[in-house]
Amino acid sequence: MRPTTLAFALCAVLLAACKQSSTDQQQQPAQGGSTAASAPSGSEIVIGATLPLTGSEARIGAFYKEGYDLAFEEANQGGGISVGGKKMQVRLQLLDDTSTQATAASLADRLLNSDKVQFLLGTYASHLVEAQSVVAEQNHVPYVNGGGGAKEIYKHGYKYVFGVLAPVQLLSTALMEWIDSQQQAGKLPKQMKIAVLWENTAHGKDFRAGVSEFVEKHKGPYQIAVDESFELNGKDFSALLGKVKSANVDLFLADAHLPDYITMQRQYVTLGLCHKVQSYGARGSEKQAAEALGAEHVRNILSAVWWNAQLGTQGLTKKFVDSFEAKYKRKPEWYQAMGYETARALFLAIEKAGTLDRDKVRDALAALDVESIVPGGKLQFKQENGQQAIYPFVVQQNQPDGTSPIVWPKESAKIPGAPNSCK
Amino acid sequence: MGQVIDLAVSAILLAGLYATMAYGLGLIYGVLRIVNLNHGGMIMVGAYAGWWLHFKYGIDPYLSLIPVSAAAFVLGVLVYRVLVRRLPRGAAGGVQSLLLLFGVWLVLRNAAYLLFTGNDQTIRTAYSTRAISLAGAFLSVNRVAVFGLALVVLFALHMLLTRTYLGKAIRAVAQNPDSCTLVGVPVERIYALTFGLGTALAALAGLLAATLFPFSPEFGATELLKSFVVVVLGGLGSVAGTAIAALILATVEVFAILALPSYLTASVGFVLLVLVLVIRPGGLFGQRVLG
Amino acid sequence: MKRVLPVWVRPRAVLVAGIGAAVLALLPFFHSNRYWHNQITETMLAVVAALAWNWLGGYLGQVSFGHAAMFGLGGFVAARFQASLGLPMIPAWIVAGIVAGLYALVWGHPTLRLRGPYFSIATIGVGEATRLICTYWVWLTGGSSGMSLPVQIQLKYQLYWYALALALLALAASYALRRSPLGLSLLAIKSDVDAAGDVGVSSVRLQDLVLFISGMTMGICGGFYASYYSFIEPGDMFGFSRSISFVLMGVIGGIGTIAGPAVGALIYVLLRNALLASYPQLYLGLYGLLLILVILFEPLGLTGLFLRVFHRKRPDLGVTGVAAEDSAAPATGVTPAPAEQRGAK
Repeated sequence: MRPTTLAFALCAVLLAACKQSSTDQQQQPAQGGSTAASAPSGSEIVIGATLPLTGSEARIGAFYKEGYDLAFEEANQGGGISVGGKKMQVRLQLLDDTSTQATAASLADRLLNSDKVQFLLGTYASHLVEAQSVVAEQNHVPYVNGGGGAKEIYKHGYKYVFGVLAPVQLLSTALMEWIDSQQQAGKLPKQMKIAVLWENTAHGKDFRAGVSEFVEKHKGPYQIAVDESFELNGKDFSALLGKVKSANVDLFLADAHLPDYITMQRQYVTLGLCHKVQSYGARGSEKQAAEALGAEHVRNILSAVWWNAQLGTQGLTKKFVDSFEAKYKRKPEWYQAMGYETARALFLAIEKAGTLDRDKVRDALAALDVESIVPGGKLQFKQENGQQAIYPFVVQQNQPDGTSPIVWPKESAKIPGAPNSCK
Repeated sequence: MGQVIDLAVSAILLAGLYATMAYGLGLIYGVLRIVNLNHGGMIMVGAYAGWWLHFKYGIDPYLSLIPVSAAAFVLGVLVYRVLVRRLPRGAAGGVQSLLLLFGVWLVLRNAAYLLFTGNDQTIRTAYSTRAISLAGAFLSVNRVAVFGLALVVLFALHMLLTRTYLGKAIRAVAQNPDSCTLVGVPVERIYALTFGLGTALAALAGLLAATLFPFSPEFGATELLKSFVVVVLGGLGSVAGTAIAALILATVEVFAILALPSYLTASVGFVLLVLVLVIRPGGLFGQRVLG
Repeated sequence: MKRVLPVWVRPRAVLVAGIGAAVLALLPFFHSNRYWHNQITETMLAVVAALAWNWLGGYLGQVSFGHAAMFGLGGFVAARFQASLGLPMIPAWIVAGIVAGLYALVWGHPTLRLRGPYFSIATIGVGEATRLICTYWVWLTGGSSGMSLPVQIQLKYQLYWYALALALLALAASYALRRSPLGLSLLAIKSDVDAAGDVGVSSVRLQDLVLFISGMTMGICGGFYASYYSFIEPGDMFGFSRSISFVLMGVIGGIGTIAGPAVGALIYVLLRNALLASYPQLYLGLYGLLLILVILFEPLGLTGLFLRVFHRKRPDLGVTGVAAEDSAAPATGVTPAPAEQRGAK
């Protein structure tokens, strides 16, 4: 093609694209439920965020959106949040990052430089959060996220990144602590072999690290006999499960996404496997799993999650559960709780700072020490933890009647829980 | 030793599925000399069709095999008539048809996304987790059923290709389309039928796979590659070749866990594909795979 | 007037490229929109990648569905060399490029014997195998958690000009590879590798050359990507969808043309951005449709379309297509048997 023609064509297309994108900004995405403004207006604070509303994490992305929406709604109910005496409404500018890393980073860029949002809330999934945290740090914008649990994100010493999700290592720690307590109570043998199967993602890596750290610390009673990772969306786990079978372990600890959990458990059951303790990390109590596998095949599975509606017996947590139920007609799970709390943390910091100045809000976040719905009741972003919140996980166990009550920590436990009895 | 038996049983059962998946691909290439990159897409479509019929109307997936395959056959013929026929046949059309069918796959994937969202789906029937015990090894009822059906399908295909006029015509066209025209075989129609048949086989395999594994619109990519391995290994046109090649692939994949970390066993199929293509493109049975 | 440039370089091409480069280089000083600044950077990177893919896919006619392997490898090598071995950015990119180019040779040299679709299938296998193995190789990639580079405030802004330089180099290389005598040899190989050998074109060496520079450029793109985002992870870098994007950019823009893939890259990025706000998932289906239309009606993609619109002569690039001249594709769909045996092209 002749270069001149190409050049003209390129210019034409570029111009057209510019035009298209600017009209795009005027008629905003349906998801956010808001129309774009190019600069924050005097009486409202525009907070930007992306979520995986389509793509591999779409299911959970939608849940986080529910949490965000509830928090924004509540904040605006009283006229808004108070910034240095003045009440200002908060508005969420939400975009879909399609579960892709480059898109997440690009959209964060767009929110900051094009839509001119004042602050950023996080997306869901550690690698997306990590990609966005770079953008936030480069632009000196406070970035509060409830979707990145990988410790890696908080090891860089970023000053503007705050994580509401506790480290995934603590998930396995909680599981192991419950197992330990069962052992102390004599319900489990003194020496136990563990099989750790983890999906090869940041989440799985941290899960495995948590187990091996615990085993290291409590030398003696535990031994990791099988330590294998598997590819996401693996179809055939029979070889892997066969390996577990021949290793004769007592504890089966796996970390998987929902489809792998279903596939693996199905094959586990048909292979006739049974272990004293079985867990799939944060998975286990999902209704979809019980439907796909049959209630009798998910019995006694333990799962450790960042939050559970059963914690909502009083105070702030009960208020949250009630308002969520009123709005969405079902009980919230940890995804919505984390989304809600993330937004709420940002609002509290803005109020504490008394200004919209990014650095002052950042300092307020770093010094934050508030009552919270997270287990333990307190939310802090201590610097020694890389500004990631630390609090215990709750462990639940599936019961024959379909419920999944909390069994750990002791303060929140509804029942003590018990190991499987395998023939 | 028990583990070896378990693994061997797993491999055999898996091989049945692989063979059914691969056959459609091999058929289309053998006769039309076209690499059907939409194979993965049709596997996905078959899975969704079976799931949807089960979800909406409660039809057991094994019962919906025939209607789904029939519908896929029609779809395949359509794709051929509307799209593939326009491309130059054989050597010249090689990469073109590849890209064309790849485009079709992208469109189908997107359609599935729009219709069913990207969430994973599973088919659950009363016997999904039931197992039968055979010589100490536990066999999943589903897997045995899939294996059995795979055998039936392969047998039926073999019969079709060797005993019927249509089958003979297909094989003749595969060998020498020119001469076929001379003797009055309707070559174009055979092409359309074969493409439809290959598509139907893919959808059938997809449905069978859906009874075993969860799936999403992304389903089909790995299955496509495994089908390639089987086709390249086993050569074309012979049921026996495909079956043996499928067995080899399944065995290598399953037994790899004894030598490799579990995560890397996922790469075995791909490595095998590249190795086979580079070292023995003629397949283990000396078929003319390399055009 | 003494000729400074080789005979096959059209002065007008150099002039246009020069003007375009000057405009883009000075553009940032006339606006302060960071977002568009970054978008142009990302587009230029996509242009380089698409052009590099086209050298193998278009000039040699060997369509690769696994180029993300070199992209990812380059990215992680560059990141690892910068993070652990303290190498500065540009040398790290160069090292990354060389490693990626060599890797391309390792798998490509034996595989290029395969013609047409079989090569493409092998590349899918290579792409996926590389992804799995590299995800497992924690030292190189940080495993599934990925790898981070220290955040530098102004780097992202400055990378714009680096991207511009890379894009110019890639365009120049594209131009040279096509119009030089070397390009003629490549065309000969593409049309009929055996006949080319008969007239003295050493196809093996030339194919290796193209393989290497295509892989090397991809590796450099990967390094750039790592420096730009400061965080990379293997699933994203080596992913099949990334490989697909290269194919789409190349084919829709104009496979085998000099600058067609650049147009393809431009359209790809723009369309994606435009759809991102309202129909994020739709763009893949749209590309599928475009791909079908291109293959059926205009094998030279958007470039071919432009040529038709402006009634220019279409170059014979050995890209066969139905709509080329007469629909000579016989309805009986027959190619003589001996040709088939020789090699599917």
